[in-house]
Amino acid sequence: MMTTNNKKSLRLFFIGWVLLTALFVVIGFVAPHHWMPRVMSPQEHMTVVTIILFTALAAPVAAGVYAVALHLLRHQTFRGNDVPPAAPAVRENSVLTVSWLATSVLLTVVVLVWGLGVLAADDGGATTNPLVVKVTGQQWLWSFAYEDNGKLVESNTLNLPENREVEFEVTSEDVTHGFWIPQMGIQVDANVGEITKIHTTPNQLGGFDVRCTQFCGLNHAFMVTTGDVMTRQQFNSWLAAQPSRS
Amino acid sequence: MTTTLTSPAGASLAPASTGGGLARKQNFLTGIIGGFVFGFIAWALSHHFFDNTSRSYSDLVTTFTSIGWMFGFWLGIGALNGPFAWLIGSDQTRADQLYYAGENQGKVRYWKYCTDHKVVGVQYIIMTMVLLGAGGLMAMGIRTELVAPGTHFVNQQVYNGLIAVHGMLMILALIVAVAGPWANFVLPIMCGARDMAFPRLNALSLWTLVSAAFLLLSTLAVGSLPVGWVVLAPITNQAGPGMDFFAMAIVVFSVSTTVAGVNTICTVMTMRTKGMTLSRLPIFVWGSMIAAALGLYAFPYFFLVETLQLLDRTESTSFFSAAGGGEGWLQANLFWLMGHPEVYVILIPAVAALFEIASVMSRKPVFSYRTAIGGMAGLAGLSILVWAHHMFTTGWAPTLGGPFMVTTELISIPTGVFFLVLVGTLWRGHIWMKLPTYWMFGFIANFIIAGITGIYLSDIPIDNEFHGTMFVTAHFHYVFVGSVLFGAIAALAFWYPKVTGRYLDEKLGRISFWLTFAGVQITFMAMFVSGLKGMPRRYASYSMLFEHSNFVTTVGAYTIMAGMLVLLGALITSWNKGEASGPNPWHANSLEWMVPTPPPLENFDVLPVITSDPYNYGEEKVNS
Amino acid sequence: MSHVDTHSEVHGHDEGHHEPPEVVDGRQRMAIWIFIFGDVIVLSAMLFTYLYLRGLNVGGHWMSMWGFQGKSYAQYENLANGSGLPAATLIHIKPMSASFSWLVTGVTALSALVVIFAERALRVAKNVRGFASLSAIATIIAVVSCVLSVVQLHHIPQIFTANNDSQVMAYTAYSSVMMIFIGSSLVHLAILVFLGLGLTIRASRGVLNVEKWYQARLVRLFWVWVAVTAVIVSALTTTINTIH
Repeated sequence: MMTTNNKKSLRLFFIGWVLLTALFVVIGFVAPHHWMPRVMSPQEHMTVVTIILFTALAAPVAAGVYAVALHLLRHQTFRGNDVPPAAPAVRENSVLTVSWLATSVLLTVVVLVWGLGVLAADDGGATTNPLVVKVTGQQWLWSFAYEDNGKLVESNTLNLPENREVEFEVTSEDVTHGFWIPQMGIQVDANVGEITKIHTTPNQLGGFDVRCTQFCGLNHAFMVTTGDVMTRQQFNSWLAAQPSRS
Repeated sequence: MTTTLTSPAGASLAPASTGGGLARKQNFLTGIIGGFVFGFIAWALSHHFFDNTSRSYSDLVTTFTSIGWMFGFWLGIGALNGPFAWLIGSDQTRADQLYYAGENQGKVRYWKYCTDHKVVGVQYIIMTMVLLGAGGLMAMGIRTELVAPGTHFVNQQVYNGLIAVHGMLMILALIVAVAGPWANFVLPIMCGARDMAFPRLNALSLWTLVSAAFLLLSTLAVGSLPVGWVVLAPITNQAGPGMDFFAMAIVVFSVSTTVAGVNTICTVMTMRTKGMTLSRLPIFVWGSMIAAALGLYAFPYFFLVETLQLLDRTESTSFFSAAGGGEGWLQANLFWLMGHPEVYVILIPAVAALFEIASVMSRKPVFSYRTAIGGMAGLAGLSILVWAHHMFTTGWAPTLGGPFMVTTELISIPTGVFFLVLVGTLWRGHIWMKLPTYWMFGFIANFIIAGITGIYLSDIPIDNEFHGTMFVTAHFHYVFVGSVLFGAIAALAFWYPKVTGRYLDEKLGRISFWLTFAGVQITFMAMFVSGLKGMPRRYASYSMLFEHSNFVTTVGAYTIMAGMLVLLGALITSWNKGEASGPNPWHANSLEWMVPTPPPLENFDVLPVITSDPYNYGEEKVNS
Repeated sequence: MSHVDTHSEVHGHDEGHHEPPEVVDGRQRMAIWIFIFGDVIVLSAMLFTYLYLRGLNVGGHWMSMWGFQGKSYAQYENLANGSGLPAATLIHIKPMSASFSWLVTGVTALSALVVIFAERALRVAKNVRGFASLSAIATIIAVVSCVLSVVQLHHIPQIFTANNDSQVMAYTAYSSVMMIFIGSSLVHLAILVFLGLGLTIRASRGVLNVEKWYQARLVRLFWVWVAVTAVIVSALTTTINTIH
């Protein structure tokens, strides 16, 4: 039977649930914008959107569990050395179980459909005529090679033209490394004897980082370099000015 | 109201029994001596016969020394007595059995090859603490080094070795943290059995773990393991003999877990007392059995992949080297085929123990017992289909990304069931705020974060950003430290009175809880921030960008350390001076609480006959 | 409120709690099946490794490797670090002898057959002496199989190659997987020899008598399993090996 106290505490519970949900949604929005690197590609943009979406979907679930736990801790606890009396022996509640399972399945499906959709939209390799950059990892530095009119231009910094699709062909000389551009949300391992490929289209001007994410030995922590997204003209002049070999 | 089964007067009669034979002289010390002797013999022989200019010389010597150590340790501790006795047709007499079970030996039996499951359980508690302690020291080394940018106390090579050994020690510790002590001490009694199905195999699994731990710790003496705990090929080619000790430790450890898994399943399936149908079993027994079955599936892969790595290093085979037609990704696949189910082998016993604790501490039956079993079984089953989500960014098989994303995200459904059962059990419960309850609530809070951050990582585009960063490290530390460790400590606080007859100090325990809980949030939330900002993992040093989040993480780590030290203090002081608890302090109904504390040698003089499950606390059943 | 019924028989503590043989047998048989399950996983992983590496044929090196002619390292022993070695060539190996593989498998299978007869002698004919003799024969056959396996190991093709400034006898992917197949088989055969020896000795001493016939069946179960794995491995490796 529902007493006034029960109604009041239940109302507090729902308020708590809503407030916590709102808090988590806000965190889900603020955290990526506040802490993540600058977004410089559509892939990274979608990643941030996905994080916000998933947080929003997870928020009511997490908040619900926390609200329940707090409610229990406030109203249902017994302290002291005497064992509490037996509680109502609810062994099953099909409504709760079924709706819980149904909700998990639904949320999972939404998350999956979204994720697979984003994956499919980006997948299948580069579409247009991409700029091909060969990335070589070795202990402990990155080197890049651009194909330019039949010549191979080598560089230790990764400069890219804005708004042109670039495809990276990544390999390694010695052990497995991880080629990662945090600002562009792309990452693939550099493996010995293999060429792995990822692509992106940088859509912001400015500097970015290249970091190794696969432990590769003594100086793994120093296997970083930088790059710059520049206008097409700047990029072409830069490329022309680099030493090259046929 | 409790029913205690007491043994009739005069049950334990004579002084030292007559059985045991050679075992009377064997113990941990003779085991170590045997290990060192045969290890030395193996070292000397391999040193003599193998060419020391060859590339694989040190690997061969290390491997054979490890084999010698293992054989010698088994010989010295008495593990081989049984098989040899069987071979020559000299079976154990009743007196032998009683001797091996430790009858009338007092505390000495904890240092021996003792078949009494309760002794094995306590030995596992000690082993867990040793492994967690060693791993924890390394964690403090790691976090102290990372307190600020730059290199401070250890150089990179040492640091890189520390992180891998920390990882491996903690993984080993957590695999046994709940299953080792409690699936041994408590599970047979819960089933109404006098011991495990194969008591000598029980002792074997414990002492094999001990010998494996020696091998793993030896890694530190020979250049450690600066290749990451997942020992990917081909970087392992650059590792010294530490890698061989590691691989041998794993090969040996796989034997330990296989044996323990066989024992657990056979005990539950064949040793239940009359009336103890499968649906009347405490949920902890179900969880232990499911975890054991999953481990039996997973660890053979680990056994194989480490054998293959040893062969590549000692015999110049080409499993993983391209020059001979091998492939590094084969190692990754074999490793993760083990690696993902393994985390559920770690998680499920902790969750099952928490189901038990939730029920007793809220005076309510486990909510939806069958769904709980289904959830654990579903989790175990699905977990064998998700392994390549650890390889999303390797470039191995981009077309398989979608399917593995599907299986991985499906896992959130059985994981959600765990919350349903826990929350459903606690809801409308009369929750007794004692030490186990605190750790259980801590688990609930932390496991939400652990689970949800796992969902982010299972999404491939997000994984493309966060794989290999501290985001991943923070996620799995919320799983292992925030969730599994909390479950393990809850289980310890819960069953401690059964082992010792005393409560684990409530006040110190609560101080430890708050320190550890706060420490976990500080440490690993700040670690998520490091990951969001773009700090890769396994970094010996980092740039100024990650300065603040790392500093906070280190502060948090010291807080956790404080919490763990307080817990250790609680354990030590309570062992002899804790408040007496009586045989059933929590007023629970499962069989382990019905026997005296400490339980007599073969648990029951009179095997009980069971008429219902242990979840009736007195209130009338509610049909909802 | 107790769910425990305490009205049960009382057993003396020191006489032991005797369990009927069927109970012990059932439990031990379950253990063997579970262990076999683990063995199935290892075997499947090895079969997967074989097919995966062959399917990939990384660099074309499933059965070939760059190296130097000559069968032994000793030939080049006195040359320091690669100097004086001839130019490396691509050396192709041949698959291992199919007939020898089937010979070893056949011998293992034969020993399993003898164990089957031995177990039947004990269970049906209640002939302990016959059982002991047949167990001894099966054990000896298993020893023969061990010896043949060691011979097989010796015949795994190796290639003398240079690797990171040192010369080694190395194995291609094919040879590597054959090594673990044969190695695993050897380990299992060694266990069979131990078990067979145990059965023989125990039967001769009268410890394994007619009431304990189920112990023989447990061993037979595992023995047959080992024979089955030998057949599977031989069937795979003798039919699917070279790449065309």
